[in-house]
Formats: sequence, structure tokens, C-alpha cells
Amino acid sequence: MYLVAHIDVEICASKSCKLCTQYCPEANTIQYSEEMGKEKGFKYGSAYVAVDRCKGCAQCVWVCDNMAKNNAIKMIMIDQLPMAALTDNITYSDKSTIAVLASPAGG
Amino acid sequence: MSLDYVKFSSGFEKFMPKEYRDMVEHGPFGKKMSVSQMGSFKEILEEHPMCAGCAMTLFIRLAMIAFPNPEDTITVGTAGCGRLAISQAAIPFVYGNYGDQNGVASGLSRGLRLRFGDKPKDVVVMAGDGGTADIGFQQVLHSWFRKERFTTIMLDNEVYGNTGGQESGMTNRGAVLKMAPLGKKFEKMDMLQMAKVAGCAYVATVVPNNPRRVESVIKKAVLIAREVGSTYIQAYTSCNIEYAIPTDKVMEDAKNVENDRYQFSEYITDEAKQFLTERYGYKEFLPKPAAPGLSKA
Repeated sequence: MYLVAHIDVEICASKSCKLCTQYCPEANTIQYSEEMGKEKGFKYGSAYVAVDRCKGCAQCVWVCDNMAKNNAIKMIMIDQLPMAALTDNITYSDKSTIAVLASPAGG
Repeated sequence: MSLDYVKFSSGFEKFMPKEYRDMVEHGPFGKKMSVSQMGSFKEILEEHPMCAGCAMTLFIRLAMIAFPNPEDTITVGTAGCGRLAISQAAIPFVYGNYGDQNGVASGLSRGLRLRFGDKPKDVVVMAGDGGTADIGFQQVLHSWFRKERFTTIMLDNEVYGNTGGQESGMTNRGAVLKMAPLGKKFEKMDMLQMAKVAGCAYVATVVPNNPRRVESVIKKAVLIAREVGSTYIQAYTSCNIEYAIPTDKVMEDAKNVENDRYQFSEYITDEAKQFLTERYGYKEFLPKPAAPGLSKA
């Protein structure tokens, strides 16, 4: 098993700074979804991680903790995540993405 | 090399992989994308075999978003880590022999101008510090002296990271590396000064811990290289393996190095300023109006 980044939607959607999307070295790994925040009643969307692309470097954790000071990202063993975003289940819209969460183990 | 090449061939759409479909429908081709929209569109860069937490990859990712016309851009590279990511992108990549990237880019840039005339086709060289300052040094310098119109970007990780940690011309004096156990005995090469002496129209240093600045610098460099002359960007892109930087501290290191020896600097000739202002509507080079209080004095 290995570590992947996991973003707390409730913290992220209340701040919505999008810094982690700009600092991840992997392309299209930390994505942004308007729906993910609005589903929980927030005005803005949230970032989320496409776990099949995450290499577990934790750079986003440093950026979220030290630059944004939001502490919304933690590294979690992938088998401890019951549901996560996978690249195959992500669709793009004009200004955001929509992810259907699935079990990473099943993918 | 045009918007036409990122379309589906008739009847093949449903057979294309998801990544390709996303690229055609939600990629940056033909649109203006910026770093503030990252995470909301399909990027040119795909998955790649670079190490986890590599700052060079982050820089390459930002650079590809910053290209003003990605559909009309060709990247040129040489041996080194960077090519592992640059080649995994949806724009053409030319891989030269070690050190000849600026020679290849010179021919490519001239050929594209002959073939396409006034329609801008951008050539961007992205090579490491070894490819640019050591092994490719004479071709780099000669291309600048000839004022070849393309952009050279040095991905400066201050080491030969791909081959086990030998010192390069860009390694700092005193740095101890796996293959330089006594520490480097000479100073880091001043490529910025050499670029200015050789006649580059635009020279800048950046560190990837400021994505908006990386975007702005690369955009300017590529636009200036369309008509004015050579442009050079030197980017600090640490090697977290050879310098033993924990991956979650890579941005902290970038910040420290920026404060130590990689402060942002930008050199731009008057001709390039005028070109950006008149052709692309840049306002930052216009003369600043005098403050009202000062005009009375």
C-alpha cells in the first residue's frame, strides 16, 4: 500500500484558494470541482485528487499548510480511502470538472 | 502544428482513448488558459516517469500552460531528466543529440518561418543545466550571437541528476555531491550575464514557487522570440533526489534558494519592450504618468 493525498472537502470548499492545483508536479492530478462544494452547501467548489495519478510526494500538503494555511490536505494510505476520484470517472465541463467517486481498490 | 491536428479523424472518435477525447474537447488548444484555471481543463502534459515531487516537472507543467499558442509550438530538448516529461505532452517534441538542441532549434525555427511565413510558429528549447551550460554550451551561445528567434529555457537543477550526481557548470561552489565528494571547486557559471552579452532580447530567472510569475515570464519570452531575437529563461528546478530534499519540502527549498541566489530578475531590451507594447498590448512598459503631487514641485 502507498500514501496518496486526500483533500477535506469541507475545509477546501470554505476557502477555495486553488493553490494546490497550481503546485502539484503531476498534470491533472489535483482537479477542481464546483459541484463538490455546492453539494455540501458551500458557495465555491473544492479541489480533489485523482488518486491513480498521485505519486504521494506531499508537496500539496506543504503548500496547503504553509502557504494557504488551510490544513485541508492529509496523506492517507490508499486502502483507507473508501471512495476516491479516478481519472476514468472524471469529466470536464467548461470551467470545472465532475468526478464520480469510486472505490480505488475496485478500480 | 495547427488546430487541425488536434481533431478526431472522421468515424474514429469513439475508438480514441479518454485522454485524447478530453484533450480535443477540453484541452487548451485554440483557447487562452492560465494557471488560475488549473485543475479545470485537460492539460497538454500527460502522466510521465519523473520522480515524485520533482520541481522540474512542476516548472514544465506551468511552462506548457504558459505557451501563448500551444497548437503552434514545438519543444526541443536533449538528454536529461526534463525530456522524460516534455516528451509526454500533446505538442511535438524534437529530441536532439546531447547538447545540439539549440542547433536543431535554429534550423527548425528558420524552416518554420520559410514554410509558414508570417503565421507564428514557436520553438521552445527546454534543456537541463548540463545540456545548456556544459555540453551544449557552444551551440547555445552561437545561437544567441546569431540572434536566432526562439526561446531557450534552462531547467537548472545544479547537478547531473540523471547519471548519479556529477557536478555541472551550474553547480554551486562547494556543493558536495555523490560524484563530487570533495565539493565543487569553481563558481556557478553566470549564464545570465553571458546571455546579455550575447545579445538576448529577454533574460529572466524564475523559481517555480510562483506559478503566475513563471507563466508571465514564459509568455513574454515566447512572444519576443517570434520577431525580436533570442530569449533566455533560467529556472531553478531542484533535484530532490541528488540534493536529498524531502519531497514535501521541495517548495520550502525553492523559497530558500530564491532568497539565496535565485532572486527574480528580468532583463528586456527597449526593442522587445516596444514590440510587446505595440503588438501584444502589454501595459507594464508604458511610461508611468507622473504623480500629481510631484508635477507641481
